Amino acid sequence: MDDSLSRSASITQPAPWQRYAGVATPLLLLLLVTFYLQWAGSAYIQRVWIILGLDIILVTSLNLFNGFTGVFSLGHVGFMAIGAYVSAILTLPLEKKATNLPDLPAWLAHTQLGFLPAILIGGLAATLVALVIGRPVLRLSGHYVAVATLAFLVIVRVILINATPYTRGSRTFSGTPAYTTVWWVYAWAVVTVYVAWRVLRSPYGRAMLAQREDRAAARSIGVRVLRSRMWAFGISAFLTGVAGALWGHYILSFSPNAFYFAETFSIITMLVVGGMGSISGSVIGTILVVLLSEVLRNLEGGFSLGVVQIPSLYGMSQILMAILFIIILIFRREGLMGGHEIDLTRLYVPDFWQSLFRRKEV
Amino acid sequence: MSFFEYGTQQLINALSIGSLYALMAIGLAMVFSILRLINFAHGDLMMVASYTALFLLIGGSPFLGAAIAAVVIAAIAGLAMERVAYRPIRGAPDVAMLLTSFAVTIILENAAVLTVGARSRAFPAPPFLSTVFTLGNLTVSSVNVVAIITTAILLVLLTLFVRRTDTGISMRAAAEDLVAAQLMGININRVIAYAFAIGSGLAGVAGLLCAAKVGKVDPFMGFSPVLKAFIAAVIGGFGTIPGAVVGGYVLGFLEIFLQATLPGQSSAYRDAFVFGILILVLLIRPNGILGVQEREEI
Amino acid sequence: MKRIGSLLSLALVIALFISGCTTPAPTGGGEAASAPAETIKVGGAFNLTGELSSLDVPAANGAKLALSEINAAGGIDGKQVELIIRDGKTDPATVANITTQLIDSDKVVAMIGFTDSDSALASGPLCQEAGIPFITAGATSPKLPSQVGDMMFLAPFGDNVQAAVGAEFAYDRFGPKAYLLWDKGTEYTTLLADYFKTRFAELGGEIVLEDTYQSGDKDFSAQIAKVKALGEQPDFYYISAVPDDIGTTVKQFREAGITGPIVGGDGYDTPLLVEVAGDAANNVFFTTHALMDPDNGSDAVKKFIADYNAEYGHDPENAFAALGYDTMKLIVDAIQRAGSTDGAAIAKAIEETQGFPGVAGELNYSASEHVPRKGVTMIEVKDGKFTLAAEMVPEKVPAP
Repeated sequence: MDDSLSRSASITQPAPWQRYAGVATPLLLLLLVTFYLQWAGSAYIQRVWIILGLDIILVTSLNLFNGFTGVFSLGHVGFMAIGAYVSAILTLPLEKKATNLPDLPAWLAHTQLGFLPAILIGGLAATLVALVIGRPVLRLSGHYVAVATLAFLVIVRVILINATPYTRGSRTFSGTPAYTTVWWVYAWAVVTVYVAWRVLRSPYGRAMLAQREDRAAARSIGVRVLRSRMWAFGISAFLTGVAGALWGHYILSFSPNAFYFAETFSIITMLVVGGMGSISGSVIGTILVVLLSEVLRNLEGGFSLGVVQIPSLYGMSQILMAILFIIILIFRREGLMGGHEIDLTRLYVPDFWQSLFRRKEV
Repeated sequence: MSFFEYGTQQLINALSIGSLYALMAIGLAMVFSILRLINFAHGDLMMVASYTALFLLIGGSPFLGAAIAAVVIAAIAGLAMERVAYRPIRGAPDVAMLLTSFAVTIILENAAVLTVGARSRAFPAPPFLSTVFTLGNLTVSSVNVVAIITTAILLVLLTLFVRRTDTGISMRAAAEDLVAAQLMGININRVIAYAFAIGSGLAGVAGLLCAAKVGKVDPFMGFSPVLKAFIAAVIGGFGTIPGAVVGGYVLGFLEIFLQATLPGQSSAYRDAFVFGILILVLLIRPNGILGVQEREEI
Repeated sequence: MKRIGSLLSLALVIALFISGCTTPAPTGGGEAASAPAETIKVGGAFNLTGELSSLDVPAANGAKLALSEINAAGGIDGKQVELIIRDGKTDPATVANITTQLIDSDKVVAMIGFTDSDSALASGPLCQEAGIPFITAGATSPKLPSQVGDMMFLAPFGDNVQAAVGAEFAYDRFGPKAYLLWDKGTEYTTLLADYFKTRFAELGGEIVLEDTYQSGDKDFSAQIAKVKALGEQPDFYYISAVPDDIGTTVKQFREAGITGPIVGGDGYDTPLLVEVAGDAANNVFFTTHALMDPDNGSDAVKKFIADYNAEYGHDPENAFAALGYDTMKLIVDAIQRAGSTDGAAIAKAIEETQGFPGVAGELNYSASEHVPRKGVTMIEVKDGKFTLAAEMVPEKVPAP
């Protein structure tokens, strides 16, 4: 097990300036790249960049729960749906509410909130639901809990389809104001990564890791498994709900089908590729999968390989991603990062770069 | 129509749907009992069988021949699935196997879209599956009768197989304790292959019946049946064949009952109920109505 | 595997991505029809896959046919027209995505597409926001212009019109007692059922039983049993359904012994109805935009059928092929009259359209009417064929 929490003095500790510089560097890089893309990038690449940011939030918050508790939640996209719908209903302009959601109860029909309050409320709604269903469901283990969370995903969808006065049922929910910008997305992405990092290092974080490895042992030293799982679930649900709200205000038109199996599988692929339990893994895994899918999708329209003309094969990119997924599960189940972290605070310590090339852990 | 006639009509509907769910659920249960794998790609086996039959029927083949070929192809597809995707990850944590089955579903469904196109196609059911019997005010469509009878026959055959034949007994042994069975010299690979083949064949039969009932096929037709079959298997007792059967019929009855009694406006809440019951079962009696105690708790 | 391995693979993928998108290539579904360089670009957003594909594909085909005719005749003032088609997959999120792509990346000056109101709702606001006029080939919700904005136009009539015709026709021909079954899952079916209820009640009709289902449901046995349990069968059955479901519905209803007339809207105008339901499709009536009959249609229809046949090797599948054709011709005509590619100018030109001869009927618009007032064709299915039952204009139309 990766013991990066209890690193002894056998490796060089970074000096304070190195610590700050180490964390600040990627942030600065992020800022620069985003600025550049906004200024010089095509509409297409800007869109990919935003989707990348949204997926980073989704995968990292899922990892916060899955990776650290070892419990597999297949229903997380349900929280995304809750965040998207709740925030969209709140921000929908009043005139649109009258035409699109004529049956809203009076107090909602006259409410219109700004972006940030709506996002927060969306996230909180997701957390509330998480705490309610977490109590019974998180006691289960292994595939039982995976199955129960899957059932949760289906139930959320059914409720959305039936709550027609609020959600228009399966019909298109449109008219959402276009509030999401690349800055909002990446601000929240940084927040999410930071929160995940802090949670890992908190007492609850250690408790989570402990019970992932051996529940009985954790129990014996007083770790309250259900409580730690609930914390992770709640925080993770909040961030996922926020991601949903951001996504809803980006795509502008959606229906319950957008929050179902296709999205679930997409996020899980990124999680598995990067490696559960590793935050840097989620980020790297997400970047890899998103970019690879885009490359493959662009090729779907047909291309030429020297003299050979490959015809258009729509749907091939999904097949290839699924095959990649299976290959990772067979050959490198712990994901690319293997559950290890890239410790940013050591970015400026020479040891760090040397160890990357060695098989040793950092 | 009297209440008795209405009730009988709905009863037949429930039995018919229940039969389809039972056929699907058995396949899932067989594989799970031995491998602890929840094979979501099971639904795509329905699809494979239906398309096979479709192309053969369009090509002029008689229905019986097309049906047999379809079931055999489904069984082969199931075996291929096992060999290529599931054998390499045997022994992995349950969740990894579940996720792999998702990936397999995606591959199969998209492959179907690529090869036969995403649009629905009409399924030319033979006359004996499209006739209607009338008894007074009761009308029963033959496909429902065929479904009920076929399922009953297959269940009898399956029970005989599992109780009387060596392979069947080996399967039960493997389901009870995989390691012990291996130690007793049972060829696990062969047993697993049988489980997949039989389960997939049954899914193929279910697929044909479904195609005849609905009248059309499309690459995603297996998706919601497999979810339903899964619930059926869990409710009835996951990992046991009798459980899967019981679960299938219970689910069929539940669905028809809810559809009949819920007011027209909220009929879709039926699905929420059904999945809610699933969660309840998982919480209270995770091994289902007939299940064997084996849940791990913290 | 060393840690460096994962970073290297990441670097590789990034490199691939950047190299692949120095020019933003149209992603999955992009298909450019006709010449490059100095062209006028029109966006064609269609659901080439998914539940509505049996309507959208013919519409797209019709549009492409129109395009080739337009370009053969010299395009717009000598400039060739380019129709960039992308697949919305009958999913609002994908529809929103491709609309954004068409507007931002492909830089279209006008948009046509979709035969369903949900997709039009997903696409419309984005076009409105960008000032791009959008004519939907087949979406029939009369609420669309008020929901989306002044850039939104319909080529077909509104659902309130066809529901009114359905109600009036059935009331006169079959009787005052109806059964209503509608699909809760789409905008179109919900609205159609609603307008039908309103008009039918106005006429003095009575809905003896109302029931619903969800798009994609495969088993209607419970609903059917409820109908059959009625003491006295209604005079007709109004079923508001989408093309992918109607075949199954009709089949199961007939197999359960329901022989009365089944009436519905243009969602029935699909080859799937007869393909899936077979003989059960007899005694089914539906309202649609035109009858593609090579013997009895108007001259315009006959010519269209012949041209479509020549281009695609088979008759047009349904009226939506003609609608797609009309929409393409209309937008190009409007661009020509506007004399510019400015969105507002094109929209104004559309509003000024009077007496535009469409294959599926004459098109007239005004500043306050973005839904054309067109006649409705009532089709009866007899012996597996679509035949003309009536051509009607409703006496009274429910407000949108």
